[in-house]
Amino acid sequence: MDMAKYRQVFIEESTEHLAEMSSALLKLEKNLADGEAIDLIFRMAHSIKGMAASLDYDSITQVSHGLEDRMQEIRREGSVADPDELALLFRGLDRLESMVNAIRSTGKMPPPDPDLAAVLTNRAADPPAEVSPSALAASASAQEAAKKKAHTPIL
Amino acid sequence: MARILVADDASFMRQMIREIVESEGFEVCGEASDGVEAVDEFKRLQPDVVTMDIVMPRKSGIDAVRGIMAIDPSACVVMCSALGQETLVTEAIQAGAKDFIVKPFKPDAVIETLKKVLEKED
Repeated sequence: MDMAKYRQVFIEESTEHLAEMSSALLKLEKNLADGEAIDLIFRMAHSIKGMAASLDYDSITQVSHGLEDRMQEIRREGSVADPDELALLFRGLDRLESMVNAIRSTGKMPPPDPDLAAVLTNRAADPPAEVSPSALAASASAQEAAKKKAHTPIL
Repeated sequence: MARILVADDASFMRQMIREIVESEGFEVCGEASDGVEAVDEFKRLQPDVVTMDIVMPRKSGIDAVRGIMAIDPSACVVMCSALGQETLVTEAIQAGAKDFIVKPFKPDAVIETLKKVLEKED
């Protein structure tokens, strides 16, 4: 198989998915129980996970899997719990964007972020209130970046 | 030559399955990017096998299996699942799917599964 071809398809399709996730997260910011936005983010995370796993991009697989697990739980409950959890989702999006960009610019797998993957996955063990201050600061920054990007065309 | 309908919302996955099955001489007679399209294309193309993703927009892969079975109870559908989707695969099999393949795809396993379900059909 020509894996270079699939790497290019992965970059293009993931970039589109991440843009859709960004828009959906901004909808969730207005309504934490927006079912369509919740479903969309779940599907996009699932899709990115599948593609990344096919290319052995373990670091992207881990974070997207964590995000998918978190969204699965949110789907069951019907709503994002609170703004802290929303901030964590923005942080996941931000990390995935930077990882896909790293592949685009270097062609190599970006370093893993096991802490984020674990925080995303272990919701029951790590309620939002226990997220570290530095993590929350990173989330707030990601949230701001997504807002700015919502007005910027994605190439 | 067996005719295959590939249903997956990710173009990446559709291309990968197409490459795998065409390398073995199967014909991909159509593609669908969501569950509604999968049922419509099944009706139109009458393929020998459908490879069906589980998580898709508009209609899930499992609901699409139900839709296809309502049209043709002998239809041959193979689910494409990811690790951790065992419960959903079981649900799909109960809905009428014949077998499943696991992502990330291993070409030999995909071909082996397709040949197996096609042999059963003969």
